[in-house]
Amino acid sequence: MNRVIERVLNLLAFLLSVERPVTADEIRHTVAGYDQETDEAFRRTFERDKDLLRQLGVPVRMEHTDAWEVEQGYVVAPDEYALDDPGLTDEERTALWIAATMVRLGGQAAGPAAIFKLGGASALAAGEPLTADLGEEGETLASLFSAVSERRRIGFTYKERKRRLAPYGLAHRRGHWYVVGGTADGVRVFRVDRMLDIEPGDTPGAFERPSGFRLRDELPEAPWTVGEDDVVVEIAFDPEVAWWARRQVVAAATVTEGSDGGITVQLPVAQVDAFIGWLISFDDHAEILAPPEIRDRFVKHVVGL
Amino acid sequence: MSSPRTAERLSRILAMLPWVIAHPGSTVDEVCERFNYTRSDLLKDLNLVLVCGLPGYGPGELMDAFIDEDEVVVDAADYFSRPVRLTAAEALMLLAAGMAVLSSGTAPPALDSAVRKLQSVIAPDAESVTVDIGSEPEIAATLRQAASAGRVVTITYTAIGSGETTTRDIEPWTVFSTLGNWYVNGHCRRADSDRVFRVDRIRDLIETTDTFDPPSTSSTPEIRYSPSVDDVTARIALTPAASWVSDYYPVSIVSEGPDGKVIDFSATDPMVTARLLLRLGDHASLVSGSEVSEATDSLRRRIAARYQ
Repeated sequence: MNRVIERVLNLLAFLLSVERPVTADEIRHTVAGYDQETDEAFRRTFERDKDLLRQLGVPVRMEHTDAWEVEQGYVVAPDEYALDDPGLTDEERTALWIAATMVRLGGQAAGPAAIFKLGGASALAAGEPLTADLGEEGETLASLFSAVSERRRIGFTYKERKRRLAPYGLAHRRGHWYVVGGTADGVRVFRVDRMLDIEPGDTPGAFERPSGFRLRDELPEAPWTVGEDDVVVEIAFDPEVAWWARRQVVAAATVTEGSDGGITVQLPVAQVDAFIGWLISFDDHAEILAPPEIRDRFVKHVVGL
Repeated sequence: MSSPRTAERLSRILAMLPWVIAHPGSTVDEVCERFNYTRSDLLKDLNLVLVCGLPGYGPGELMDAFIDEDEVVVDAADYFSRPVRLTAAEALMLLAAGMAVLSSGTAPPALDSAVRKLQSVIAPDAESVTVDIGSEPEIAATLRQAASAGRVVTITYTAIGSGETTTRDIEPWTVFSTLGNWYVNGHCRRADSDRVFRVDRIRDLIETTDTFDPPSTSSTPEIRYSPSVDDVTARIALTPAASWVSDYYPVSIVSEGPDGKVIDFSATDPMVTARLLLRLGDHASLVSGSEVSEATDSLRRRIAARYQ
């Protein structure tokens, strides 16, 4: 292991200091550790070292070595390499590190590498009795996040249709990840776990976010609040489910206590189908009181007439 | 591929060097604590840095890295004076974790400013990522306190499938949020086994004076539904409009065509499947499964009776 690390430190020191693109051949004859006997052995070693650097986040790119564009050389530009220092205090680093150990994404918590880059943090007493799992799609999310931050368009398949999207932002809400972005038909929201064959485009800076775009505003509070034409539905919940209904209704609802322990709720609804689906989870312990057309629609849906 | 340990070690060296360069006079203890080093591992890494540098590789080209009395000294390594930028995965993980904890309402004040500072360097457009796991319910906060104090609590719990309400004494270990819901896992004294409870189905909670010894290792269990032998399975035909069901629930797909899918849907209680069938209406039909058929008819009759 020592030899690999020495060689890669030498390579990186050279690339960061040389201020011009250097060919693989020059590296082989200049940097300590690349004295492999055969061309093939050198090539393998060099490829592996480049992969290692990229894995750590070091941007290794190719550039022409001269104006005639005959040869290509490797570049690590110091300003692309270095982290922009966010100027965290020790207290902030520690808070971030605790948060990182509490939250899992793609099945695991963050390793310490990122927090080390930010200046490290004191080792913590483990056993914070709270964790959050943000889902399984770790790698997909990282590539979507790159597309969002570099403003690259993406192509993907969604419900068996090919789509093109200018991804404006990435959002997690109540258990699911969403991509919000611009399509030919306006701003649309897609669920990440249903996106297939995601391919980021080649051009960074390929689009601009509309001015005044707010990611939060694009996401629904509850499935039945998407849309603009709200109708206020009045529902009676029996005493045995009143506690459960009260926990579920959104802030925009008005709740009235009944004398028997039940409640009456006035709820703004835009997506009637989604609302009906939710109300069925209360079995026969809830009843739509008004308006009559929603009441009829519910009965038709359930009884199947 | 290089081994993960090589990557971790190199990554830590490339983070430690800039820190020491920016903070001359740092002590061995400070550096060890900050970067989770043992003294001997730090010494090994410094000895390795000492033999590296620029072509020529003479005394003028190699880096200086050593421990002087109790001080860590790094010199002639200006090209490593700044840490490597975060990868997309690292940046997302830190931001998402920070925002998740903030949204739960349990964060220390320093996290808010940390997330804002981080966002300003990795995603200058403040609206490129947001994470909301829902604020921690009051009961979850009480459970967390009971968990850290090792205090037994009495809960009134309504099961999702059967709707049955029970009162039980539990030893709470961990409170966690996954896939949009809050859970507590621990030992249920009534069932005398380890259980996971959904926090929003806990109707009432009373703290007792009874205490317990928390297990030395308690990991957060996976909340992924996996069918068991006691489950009730029904075969359901879905129209294309209801095909999302097979993405949303862990089902097995029996057949798939332009007219829709046929799936096998398993649940601990037939009432769960009955609710789903009523919800899907015309977009689903039961192919086979007598228990589910009975449960669906019964549920339909009861709801219809209510609206008579």
